[in-house]
Amino acid sequence: MIQLTDVSKSYGSEKTVHALSHIDLTIAPGERVAVMGPSGSGKSTLLNLVCGLDEPTSGSVKVEGVELSGLTDDARTRLRREKIGMIFQTFNLLPTLTAGENVALPLRLQGEHKHEAERRAVAMLERVGLKDRAVHRPDELSGGERQRVAIARAVIFRPPLLLGDEPTGNLDSVTGEEILRLLDDLHSEYNNTLLLVTHNVQAAGHCDRIVSLHDGQIVRDERIEQGLAEIR
Amino acid sequence: MYPALWHVTSRQWKSHRLRVALTTLGIALGVAVFFAVRTANATLLDSLTLTVERLAGKSTLEVTAGETGFPEQILETVRSTPGVQIAEPVIEVIANTGFEDEGNLLIMGVDTTGDQQLREYQFDRSQTQISDPLVYLAQPNSILLSQSFAERHGLRIGDALPLFTSHGRKDFTVQGLFKPVGIGEVFGGNIAVMDVYSAQVVFGRGRNFDRIDLVNSPDTPVETVQQRLRERLPSGLETVRPQVRGQALENAVTAMRVGMLVTSFISLLVGVYIIFNSFTIAVNQRWKEIGILRAVGVERRNISGMFLGEALVMGAIGSLIGIAGGYYLAALASKVMNSIAASIFGVISTPQPLQLHSNLVLTSFALGVACSLAGAWFPARAASLLDPALALHNVEARQQESVLGWARVTLGGGLLLLCSLLIQLSPARVGMTLQFAYAALMLLGLTIVLPKLVQWAALALRPLMDFAGGSEGALAVDAMIQSPRRISATVGALMVGLMFVFSTGAYIQSYRRMIDRWTSRLLNADLFVATSTLLRSTTYHFSEELGQRIAALPEVKRVDNVRFTLIPFQGDTAAVAAVEMDGFLERAGGAIEDGNEKTARELLPRGEGVLISKNFSTRWKIGAGGRVHLNTPARALDLPVLGLVEDYRSDKGTIFLDRALYKKYWDDDAVDFVEISLKPGGNATAVKGEIEKLTSGSEHALVYTNAEFRNWISGLVDQFFVLDDMQLVVAVLVALVGIVNTLIISVSERRREFGILRAVGGLRSQIRKLVLLEAVAISIVGVLVGAVAALFNIQFMSHTVSMVLTGYAVPFYFPWTLVFCTLPVVVAASLLAAWLPARHAMEVQVIEAIGYE
Ligand SMILES: Nc1ncnc2c1ncn2[C@@H]1O[C@H](COP(=O)(O)OP(=O)(O)O)[C@@H](O)[C@H]1O
Ligand SMILES: [Mg+2]
Repeated sequence: MIQLTDVSKSYGSEKTVHALSHIDLTIAPGERVAVMGPSGSGKSTLLNLVCGLDEPTSGSVKVEGVELSGLTDDARTRLRREKIGMIFQTFNLLPTLTAGENVALPLRLQGEHKHEAERRAVAMLERVGLKDRAVHRPDELSGGERQRVAIARAVIFRPPLLLGDEPTGNLDSVTGEEILRLLDDLHSEYNNTLLLVTHNVQAAGHCDRIVSLHDGQIVRDERIEQGLAEIR
Repeated sequence: MYPALWHVTSRQWKSHRLRVALTTLGIALGVAVFFAVRTANATLLDSLTLTVERLAGKSTLEVTAGETGFPEQILETVRSTPGVQIAEPVIEVIANTGFEDEGNLLIMGVDTTGDQQLREYQFDRSQTQISDPLVYLAQPNSILLSQSFAERHGLRIGDALPLFTSHGRKDFTVQGLFKPVGIGEVFGGNIAVMDVYSAQVVFGRGRNFDRIDLVNSPDTPVETVQQRLRERLPSGLETVRPQVRGQALENAVTAMRVGMLVTSFISLLVGVYIIFNSFTIAVNQRWKEIGILRAVGVERRNISGMFLGEALVMGAIGSLIGIAGGYYLAALASKVMNSIAASIFGVISTPQPLQLHSNLVLTSFALGVACSLAGAWFPARAASLLDPALALHNVEARQQESVLGWARVTLGGGLLLLCSLLIQLSPARVGMTLQFAYAALMLLGLTIVLPKLVQWAALALRPLMDFAGGSEGALAVDAMIQSPRRISATVGALMVGLMFVFSTGAYIQSYRRMIDRWTSRLLNADLFVATSTLLRSTTYHFSEELGQRIAALPEVKRVDNVRFTLIPFQGDTAAVAAVEMDGFLERAGGAIEDGNEKTARELLPRGEGVLISKNFSTRWKIGAGGRVHLNTPARALDLPVLGLVEDYRSDKGTIFLDRALYKKYWDDDAVDFVEISLKPGGNATAVKGEIEKLTSGSEHALVYTNAEFRNWISGLVDQFFVLDDMQLVVAVLVALVGIVNTLIISVSERRREFGILRAVGGLRSQIRKLVLLEAVAISIVGVLVGAVAALFNIQFMSHTVSMVLTGYAVPFYFPWTLVFCTLPVVVAASLLAAWLPARHAMEVQVIEAIGYE
């Protein structure tokens, strides 16, 4: 599903920051991987490379066997909107659109008609437990509800790959747990690959594998026992 | 306000330089136009005053009788009045020279012996030994020229100057040149002096003068002399201070000045909307910052103070830039106003260098700052009313675009209705200030309902955009429907500009239709001969002998001589059309309204009554059956009004009376128009050729067939509206600058939104399309609401403004064609305007834009 080979990423020309150095990482389809590490260790950078929002300084990033560096910006954008759903710590909903319209946005950018897009959006909102919130604006929703809207938007086109950058970082632990359950449910339904950046051990517990980063390098890569996931 | 808040503000300015710069420029633009127009205006008035001063010389009083002049015996009466020290006769003629490229020359007919006591002449003695060229003027066909005019045409002393006189083209001998000081400065040097008695003859004035300029003796106060003269002179004559004439000149150009003033206010209003737009965006953006400030203990009033302080600084800087730029713009405006004053209003001025009036600088500055504060007021208030808990809650918590309540719509609609009623019902002469308050009321009402209008217009537009623009089109409109406030701020500027364009256009159209109706009903002779390419020359006339020569042509059935002039009337002016009533009634008798046609046909030719134009009737509240009281140079006349006709020859209103009556009481047999009826089967074009042959080289006569004459009148109307057309262009430009400004600001401030769109799969090209389509949608909505706004402003223009400017209302007319023609222009301009912002939006760096805080 995802294959990173000897990937490095550095910023700046004079005082160069090596955000990632010589990363090798392979993620199988359907796998759930938690990326952990202290702040500034390169987690977000890794995610941005995988979804094609950023390009590596060296090395190769392949998603579903496609080498990203060989693609134009438009091709990468298309890949993103067909294959990759993204959720963010700060939700990134459009404040002027209603929840339903936010969820329908990716479909409409793909040319789907408004009515059909919104019909599917409402269905998806129902799926994430926000049946009667479709006409509300983001500022009328709680943090947890907003993240559900963002998740609905990320999975509305059934992407095989779901990326999350600290999706529970702005939420209290109870709400965060609800969001993680939702991701679990969606995973069992769609069997999507999940790449989840998190600080939170509890969140990592929802995954099959934990990759730990430190100063731009992978310091640990371990599979979680099935049992551990069951215990939680 | 806390110094710390200034610090916050200065940081914000640094990171939003483009927005700050464009906003400041928006104010600068408004102030620049305002300042330029006011300065040009003041300069024009200065030059009018100076003209009057130069022409008046030392005189302290003037005796006049409207345009018609008065018998020369009056001079003796004036001279013999105790307290009059000097009294000199004057004839003023604007004559056509025989030169191809030079239009008009102002000719002063003066008494050669006495005039130097009154006026300053400085002769150029380099070419001649003659010590006093004025003396030589008494020789027939002599003339003195300003040096600058002579140089322009390579004339030297002794050369011939060709002029069109009442008796045809004549050559005059240049007897002397005067320097460009004193009266030599007037009219840019297009001035000549000749003997007043020769002028009487060559310009067909009979034994009349136009004016007597006089000086009171030092021991008698001016007021006493003025009083004495008023008692001694016939009632048709006026004795006034020379400054009063300056006032009259100023009045003549009022229409132009008011028009320019309105344009400048429009620019300022657009400035207000630009500020409003910019601050609405700023407040939205700084929602979180405001929340934090509130949370750490900054009071509400200090939050709004922070934004108003910013507006104050921007307003001040913008105003200074505007004043500086406006000064340069003023030179241009001044030139335009001077030339319009001369060519359309026939007002002579003495072009003056621009002056920096300190009070104008102060007013412009104050207005700029005030507009800036007014624009920032609502956003600042919204900021101060913010709930800090909500703002801190999350990034998405921005200014809530509260649902636009019906209370608001009702209030706005109520204001508009009130304003309509005021326009329709209030009396015509309540004063300009009050009447312009209606317009202010209307704008306020429009601004209040604007968001709702925008929402409706966007909803109406949705199917079209969906169809033509695909999902991006629909997305663009949806964004508009969801944020009517942001869009209204952008649309507001466009609305004001277009409203002005549409309503002025409507006014002009309606006026033209009225003129068409008039010319088709009243002007139905087969051929017309006129004295000037303007409606008429105020100083150059034909003699009756021309009519006799034309009448001798074989195909001509009848010739009517028409005198058209202005006379003093009830402290103001009225126009008189002295026509040969029998001929007039034969051709246009059917056009008489409101009177008994039979009585009119009987009494009018006998000089026992008059017809009045409808605008005269409205202006003076006199109807059929009323009476007009006229002070003629001979004696007072009191005549019954026998009917009304629709006629727009003069905006002062026109009295039609029999020519014989006019000749008798005004002792004036000059002719301004010759109207010719042909025998059945007569060929107008052929006769026109014959008349031209007849007058060629002698009269400065313009011959028109009926169709040509009516075209020519609509041409004059067009010329009259040149200024309005210019105003339209300025208004469109200002509106476009407004939309460019607000588009650039709002797009550059929506980076995050575009980042999100890109992140969820929007292609670069889709982002660009989105921005461009939104610009298109905004411009269409702008045209729509501009048209709605015009609906109200047209009422104001065709009723109130028209009443102020012309004394009558024009019928309501909606300019559909203009609206449809404007649409593509505005759409194209918006597309152009949005091009750069769209590129920026397209190249937004997603990671940076959506930033993780
Ligand atoms: N656009 C950028 N320019 C310069 N340095 C950057 C940029 N983005 C990230 N960095 C640096 O790269 C390193 C990794 O950042 P990031 O991937 O955001 O860390 P994490 O998400 O693990 O907190 C940090 O040291 C950060 O300062
Ligand atoms: Mg991060």
